[in-house]
Amino acid sequence: MAGGGGGDGEPEFQIAPMIDVLLVLLIFFMSITSAQVLKIDKDIKLPVAADAKKKEDKNTMFEAALNVRWLSTKQESKIKLDDRELPNEEIVSILTDRKNNNPTYRVVIRGDRDVPAVEIQKVMALIAQSGIDDISFSALNNDS
Amino acid sequence: MAHRNKKHRTIASDDLVMGFQIAPMIDVVFVIMLFFMVMAGAVKVERELKTTLPGIAPKVSNDDSPPDEIIVTVEETGIVTLNEEEFDTPESKSLPNFTGTLMRLKQEADNRSAKVMVTIQAEEQARYERVIDVLNSMAKAKISNVTFTVGGEEF
Repeated sequence: MAGGGGGDGEPEFQIAPMIDVLLVLLIFFMSITSAQVLKIDKDIKLPVAADAKKKEDKNTMFEAALNVRWLSTKQESKIKLDDRELPNEEIVSILTDRKNNNPTYRVVIRGDRDVPAVEIQKVMALIAQSGIDDISFSALNNDS
Repeated sequence: MAHRNKKHRTIASDDLVMGFQIAPMIDVVFVIMLFFMVMAGAVKVERELKTTLPGIAPKVSNDDSPPDEIIVTVEETGIVTLNEEEFDTPESKSLPNFTGTLMRLKQEADNRSAKVMVTIQAEEQARYERVIDVLNSMAKAKISNVTFTVGGEEF
């Protein structure tokens, strides 16, 4: 009985459970590849920090992303609040409103790896003006 | 002749009506799964280095002992110094000596139950990537109290 043979003939290869397992694996790999990659702005080459903490998804509703692009040809940076390019004063007023509505509001700085440190300082100045103190720097786990 | 051809076609189409073929489906599912498995290996996960702006953040404690102050400078050339002592080469991304020294300083401070406060002084044209390398070393040494100064103004 433990051998599973018995006298009823050869056990057949079961195709249905195999398809079930295959589909589960397929869905697993599909979900881990698509969900993570899409959020990162393609124009920004994030720096690599292997020891940084994994981002918590539960906080994404209460955080803004400040994307800092570096245009090497013009030698200037472009600051975007989430997906919108706004003047600095408007960024400060929007962030101030959000901070007033939610005291735990935070900002993630997604800076290009080639941006000079002074540009990041300007972004931090904007965040400080809006009264937000909880900030984090975005980085990648690997550079492959 | 034409009649015979017509008859032949009818028979062929009858033969084509078959049940659902499981083998090609498994082939396709395998190929799709292999694609996603390969993609999963190269997936880039976004991570974060947390910090707070000290100018606004409330004081955490009212300890009498002043924190150990460490000044880290990041130069344009990529040279990283800790209290004016140069560590590692500008090409070294992982900064092993720098990280080791930070971990030792943190350990010493923990033994005295003192806090460690790091001030990063980056030159204006220093690359942001290098600043992140330094922050990564801080994260490795579990130092979270980090202040920035760039071009004389403190944040």
